[in-house]
Parts: sequence; structure tokens; C-alpha cells
Amino acid sequence: MSSINLTPQRSETKLVPSLSFIIVFVVVMVAGAFAFLSFMPLILPPEASTQAQEVDRIFGFMLFIGALVFMLVQGLLVVSVVRWRARPGDRGDGPPIHGNTTLEAVWTAIPAVIVTVIAIYSFTVWQNTRVIAFGEQSVGAIGARYAWTFNYTISQDDLPAGIDFNALKPEIQADLTDEDGVITFSATKLYTWVGQPVVVRMDAADVNHAFWIPAMRVKQDVLAGRTTEIRFTPTMAGSFRVVCAELCGAGHGNMAGELVTDPATGEQYLTGAWVIVYETEEEYLSQFFEPTATTNLLPPDDPVLVGRQILASGKYPCNTCHVLADLNWVGVVGPSLNGIGDRADERAAAGGDADATAYLIHSIRHPGDWLVPGFGNLMPQFNADSDQTNYMPDSDLNAIVAYLLAQTAAAQASAGSTTN
Amino acid sequence: MAAITAPLPGARVEQPKRLRVSDFLRWSVDHKIIGVQYMVTALFFFVVGGALAMLIRWELLTPSLDLMQDGQGYNQLFTIHATIMIFMWIIPMMAGFGNYLVPLMLGAKDMAFPWLNAFAFWLIPPAGFLMILGYFVGQAEAGWTAYPPLSTMFSGDGQTLWGMAVHLLGISSILGAINFIVTIKNMRPAGMGWFQMPLFVWAILATAIIQVMATPFLAGAVTLMLLDRVAGTAFFDPARGGDVLLWQNVFWFYSHPAVYIMVLPAFGMLSEILSVHSRKPVFGYRAIALSSMAIALVGFTVWAHHMFTSLTPELRIPFMITSMIIAVPTGIKVFSWLATIWGGKIHFTSAMLFALGFLSMFVIGGISGVMLGSVPFDIHVHDTYFVVSHLHFVLFGGSVFAIYAGIYHWWPKITGRMLDERLGVWHFIFTFPSFFLTFFPMHMLGLLGMPRRVAVYAPEFQALNVVVSISSFVLGISTFILLYNMVWSLRSGRKASANPWRALTLEWATSSPPPATNFYGDPVPFPDPYGYGTKEAYLYVEAQEKKYGPAEAPPERQIAPQPAAGD
Repeated sequence: MSSINLTPQRSETKLVPSLSFIIVFVVVMVAGAFAFLSFMPLILPPEASTQAQEVDRIFGFMLFIGALVFMLVQGLLVVSVVRWRARPGDRGDGPPIHGNTTLEAVWTAIPAVIVTVIAIYSFTVWQNTRVIAFGEQSVGAIGARYAWTFNYTISQDDLPAGIDFNALKPEIQADLTDEDGVITFSATKLYTWVGQPVVVRMDAADVNHAFWIPAMRVKQDVLAGRTTEIRFTPTMAGSFRVVCAELCGAGHGNMAGELVTDPATGEQYLTGAWVIVYETEEEYLSQFFEPTATTNLLPPDDPVLVGRQILASGKYPCNTCHVLADLNWVGVVGPSLNGIGDRADERAAAGGDADATAYLIHSIRHPGDWLVPGFGNLMPQFNADSDQTNYMPDSDLNAIVAYLLAQTAAAQASAGSTTN
Repeated sequence: MAAITAPLPGARVEQPKRLRVSDFLRWSVDHKIIGVQYMVTALFFFVVGGALAMLIRWELLTPSLDLMQDGQGYNQLFTIHATIMIFMWIIPMMAGFGNYLVPLMLGAKDMAFPWLNAFAFWLIPPAGFLMILGYFVGQAEAGWTAYPPLSTMFSGDGQTLWGMAVHLLGISSILGAINFIVTIKNMRPAGMGWFQMPLFVWAILATAIIQVMATPFLAGAVTLMLLDRVAGTAFFDPARGGDVLLWQNVFWFYSHPAVYIMVLPAFGMLSEILSVHSRKPVFGYRAIALSSMAIALVGFTVWAHHMFTSLTPELRIPFMITSMIIAVPTGIKVFSWLATIWGGKIHFTSAMLFALGFLSMFVIGGISGVMLGSVPFDIHVHDTYFVVSHLHFVLFGGSVFAIYAGIYHWWPKITGRMLDERLGVWHFIFTFPSFFLTFFPMHMLGLLGMPRRVAVYAPEFQALNVVVSISSFVLGISTFILLYNMVWSLRSGRKASANPWRALTLEWATSSPPPATNFYGDPVPFPDPYGYGTKEAYLYVEAQEKKYGPAEAPPERQIAPQPAAGD
């Protein structure tokens, strides 16, 4: 052991790499960082808003710097383990170097400068993404377990062309002519058009949710007891998924918009929450606003049709959990509603209700009292009292029950035969 | 060197007693037994939490709900996976290393408060029992962050048990931390000033300060949650005047510093291991020691960066700035470690492989951490798989890799036997790539639009999820190589010498395993714990080898510690 060489075998000057090594290293580092950058389009969703363009720019900037740091550290590691590996049988030590103040000052200062630049850049980007634009389209949103509902307002000025004000029901007329002069209607999707700044004012019906449109790069938590806002300006027409990003319970994943293919027809349709961006305002008005406003302003008299209209409007989130062919519902968490009119009688007997109507009312007002075998107690309770969450007035309830009782196999078959 | 061999006044020199399994199942105030108790308990929960992770990944093989009966079952899985991994694996494992090593590194015979030490440990098994009991009464399903109103209005009774378990674990953590602070302040040997302490001790000191200051906030938040659940109060119920952001603020005021509770001890281990196995002094000792303190301090000012999508918009920028600042001391450490191995003589022991693995993977977590600190970018990826990826690069690529390195490094000291190095290398070869392939693709999933904590996801994400799941299964299985190695080593591993890595810190200046009183006489610390490459260091190790036998003990040779020369 006395043969051990206490003086370092390599002179300390060798610790400083040669200039040619440094040049090669930096070239590889920068090339690697550009290689990382080239993957960017693959790892981001479509860039569908002005906010997305801003966020992607700062992401690209940070990805480039991050890739440089990554290449630097991994490069130094690889070089170290190759260059400074102990030769077999070498029991000596490395040189007794305890530090170098200059070097340490450099690797304190450079990261400090980098994060300062990132912070300033982030601040400017953030300011740009939250500009309040003139002429915003304001949409209300309610996050509930497990669906989004979007509320639009109609004032007298917005009345679709061709609506005879005198033909409206007295209560709707009264609403439109009172102080506020507006009525609201609901939809399960958010509709807007290219270039229109949108502000969504959001409330939570139960627990916290988060409203996220990945293609727009905007996200905001929807907090119980507070109203929060989110702003975006679409730059591209299309359908963009809305996702719930804050854990809200068993059906959290089901709150995202889904693209469903009908196995029979191969037809694809969107369920759940989506942002539908039309090319122009005219298209938005004629495709969405005017037809929906008209049916909401002039509700039919037949309770079955009213019930169908209420359910189709997305005012209540039934579609996220139930199957119902008539309305293209494809939820699977809850029992199927196809042919519920045929089954309600026997269910009433099993559940201890007087008749089919009582059973359906009971199942909506107190869903947990009796469960269809094989299904969990997941359905929210819809309350008759307007002070409570999940408020469903009796008028809505009665129309929905009338519609559900009309959902029989016979009715479905005839509906099928007429469309074919 | 005469002082090393002088017997303690009144101290009996004894042979290390061969400890039996039953010694570890009993109340004991010996810090070494308590340390092992912490580590074995933590390893047990690591396996449990790992099994839950495997179930999570199994469920995510397909975009629909198939393995679990309902979404609630899935939510319970990741809630308990995270809680176990944080509170019953990483934190107690670090406490175990701290307990075993801090008194030894300080040349002390035990911790300052041995009884308190034992008490802190024995709070953990009942906490684990309560947590698992939750499965029989409706397990918590609100995530480890337990945001109300989900955790107060909906989650099952298991949420109440979860709160009680977290309380016990918090008390354990506070008591343990007080003990570390007092021990480190008062029990350093003569000749060891603050700046002669091993860096692991510095790291444990910084960790303990955070624990003492931050954990009471967790206790406060959990108390309010429990009252809301069982006593009809409304701290978090907005309908009755409560506020849901109250929880988020107080919870993260603990839980962000808790990240440093989990990662600072890992930094400490890394400084030890990189220096010893590359035979070169730690580069920039003071910068590393003080940056731990800087991180502990600044760590208290960044909590709301977990709330960039819920916080009042005006408050987001200040928290972005503090979050950016904290990258600087972390960067100092990474570059100091690189400079430590640069020019050294790197021995590719299993401990060193995992330490180098830490260095390369932790950097990715650091880079994504800075990205997440940027408000506009965070708003896109908050609560997505990007965050899941980031936190696993920090806590698995960071803390767990450091724990693996620490196990390979200190196992000989703790058990008196060597682990099989070849198996250790295989462990690394399986773990490193499967870790990377498990967690790196998650960045892309998050960027593309997959939120975290979902059992059902859009079908276009399936391909990446399959890659992640399959890699995670390999990662899960690779753990058993380590567990097998441990069992094999205890049964037939080669006997370890006192100082198999020829290190200079004091825990190696005694037999392996150390006797109940830790040292034979009063140990004298080497003036510089990382003074490699000097004649003095060489002579110091030589003298140690004379006393306890050579570092590379031939397999057949029994190493009996020599009685102190003074006898």
C-alpha cells in the first residue's frame, strides 16, 4: 500500500478542457437544443386562440433554454463518467480541489439572469393573455358534477329575426320587458366564432372544477362560492374539447368533451362539453343562436315535447351518465333510459312507489333511495327548492317525466321506421 | 491519533451485540434500531404504494374505465398511492437515514432525546393502520391534496381516517425534527464546527427547520377539515360563509416546503456519495451547505405557485418571482456536484450509479419546474400529466434514486454485510431506463391535453399511455431486484469492513454495525469531512484500517473490532 501515488496522476491543468473540446461541446449542445425544439408541433394541441399563440411562444423559448441546460448537464455527466472513471485497481484519490469562487459566481449569476429573463417574459405574455377586449361575448358557465352548462342571454335587441313579440308567452314577454330585459337559455356546448373575444363567467354548482380548453391554452378553476372569469379569442374554426382539470369526484374524467361514433351508422357526433367555433358571426347566429333562441322563446304546449326540449338543451347534465337513443345520449355510468316508459311500472313496484310517474319523480328528486341493481349512488339529487343546488322546478320535472314515460320500445321503433 | 482510542470516562467498551429480528419489533431508544425501524416500515409502505401505482397504470392502459368498478375506486387508488408515498415512504425513509446517520456522523452516542425519538417512530404504524382501514369504510377519494368541498362534502368516511392519520404523521415529523435540531446544535464533537459538518447533516438540519415550521400549518388545515366533516363547522363551506381557498393556501403553505422535506435529505446524501465514490472533495462545500438553508427559507414564500389557476390573478406574479428565485440555489447544487465528480476517480459502484442517475434525472425535474413557475405556461399545464411527470422526476428521479444510492452506500454500515454489487448494477440497468420511459412521455400527455386524476381519457392519448404503463410495470418489477439483494445479503452477504468505501466522515470510524454506544471511545473527526486527495486523509484511513481491518476485506476473513488500546 505504500506504493500508492498520493499526487494526482493527471496534472491539474488537464481539468480545464481544451478549446477545441469546448467548441465541439457547445456545437453539440446547441444542435441538441434545436433538435428538442423541432418536436414542439408534435407535443402541443392545435393553436386555436390568440392566447395559445402567446403561450406557445414562451413555451418554445423555455424549451430551448431548458434543452440547452439539459444538454449541458447530461453532456458534462457523460464526459465525466468516460473521462474520469477510475482505472481498475486505482486506489488513489482525485485532486484536493475544494472550490473556485469565480466558477461558483458564474453558475450562480447565469441561472439568476436566465430566470429573471423568463420571469419578465412570462409577465408580459401573461398581461397579453388577459387583456379585456371591447365587445366581448359574455357566456355564463356552471360546473356541476359531472357536466358543464353554458348560459346565454337574450335581450329584446337579440331577438332572432322573424319572431313576433306578441306571439311570445306572457311570462317571457314580461321577462324581456322588465328592468334587466333579458332571459337566459342553456346549452351543453359553448358556441362562438373566429376573432370574437369571449369571457366566460363561471360558477360551481357543488365542488371545485377547472375549466380548461387545451387548444386555447387557457384554464381557470371554478370555485365553490366564487365567480371566476376566463378570457380567450378564437383564431380558428372547429370543435375544441373542454376538459375539467380539477378533481371533482367519480366522474371527473367524464366531464371532458367526447367524440362518439355510432356503431350502427358510423356517424360521429360530439357529446359533453366542447367549444364550437364558427367561421363568422353570421354562421354562429344562423346555426346556433337563432334556432336555439326561437325554440326557447316559443316552447311547445305538449309536455312530452317540452320535456324533450329541456333535456336536449343541456340544462340538466343527464346526458353525461345516461343512454338515450332519441337524444343521442351515450353515457354509461347510469342506467339506460331507452324504453324507460316500459320498465317504469315494474321499477315502481320494486322501488315501493305508487305508479310509474311517482317512481320517476322519486328517482329524480331522491335518486339515492332506490338504485337500479348494478348501479352506484352517483346521481345528484335535483331539488324543488330554488335556494338549493341542482334546482329543478316542478314545471321542468313534470315535463321531463312526461317525456320519459313516452320513451317506450314501441315509440322508438316507430321513430326509427319514420326516419329510415 | 491517540485521542481516538482513549476510552470514555465510565463507558464500557463492548462488542457489538448481534441484533435479532425481535429487537426491531420492540420499543427501543437506540437511534440505530429506530433508524432501521423507520426504514423497514417505509420500505413496506413503498411496496404497498408501488402496488397501487401498478393498479393505476393497469387502469390507464385503455381510455375507458375497466379495471376498477367505478371512478370512485380509481380516485381512492391515486389518493392513497400519493399519501403513502409522501407521508409513509419518502419522509419516514429520510427520517430513518437521518436517525441512523446523524448521531454517527457527529460522533455522538445517540440522539439528544432518545425516548422522544422512539415515540416519534411509533406514531407511524398506527397512522398506516388508520390509512388502510379507510378501505373498509369508504376510502378517501379527494386526492392527497384533499381540496374541499370534495373532501368535506363528498369523500367517504375514510377521509376522516385519512385526516387522523396525517395528524399522527405530522406529530411524528415535528417531534423527530425537534430532536434533529437539538442534536445537531448541541452534540457536535470537539473540533467540528458548523462548517466541518458533513453535508448530509446540513441537509437534515435544513429539513428539520422546515418540518418544525411548516408541519403545524398542515395540522391546522387538517383540523379544520376534520371539524367540517364531523362537527358541522363551515370553514370551507361557502354556502355558510366558509372559503375553499383557505384550505388551498394553508395546505400548500405546508405542502410546498414538504417538497423540500423530501428532497433536501436526498441532496445531502448525494453530496456524500458523489464525493466518496469519485474520491474527490465536494466542490463548493459552503455554497452547498448554505444553499440548503436558502432553499429552506425561500421555500416558505412560493406556496401559491400550486394555485396559479385558482389564486386571485393579481397575486400570481409575486409568487412566480419567488418560485423563479428558488431555482438558483438548486442550480448551484447541481453544478457543484458536476464539479465534484469532474476530475475525480469515479468508481461505478451501485451507490454511485444511482447518485449519477439522480443527477441526470433530477435536472429534468428542475427544468420542468422552472417552466411550471411561468404563470402563462403553468395555466395551460396545471393539473395535467405535465405536473405528474414533473413531480415524479423530482420525487422518484430525485428522492427515490437518492434513497437507492443511500441504501447501497450505507447498507454495509447498518447491517455489517455487503450488498451484491452485480445485482445492484442490474437494478440500476432496469430502473433507470424504465423510470425515464414511465415519466418522460407524461410531459407530452399533459401538453396535449390529458388532465391528471382521470380514469377515462380521450382515445388519442392511448398510445403514449400504453408506453407509460408498460415501462411502469418494468420499473415496478425492478424494485424486487433490490429487495432480493437485501434478503440475500442478510443471509449470505460478504461481511463488511468498518469503512468499505474509505470515506472520511465519522459514521465509518467504527465497526459495521456499530456497537450500542456507537464508538469505542471518543471519536475524533477528520478536520475536513471531504479532504480526499491529501496525505492526511490517506493516513487517517490507513489508521482506521489498522484498527478495524482493511476496506476490501477478503470474504473469509472475520472482522472482529479491536478493543480500545487503552484497556
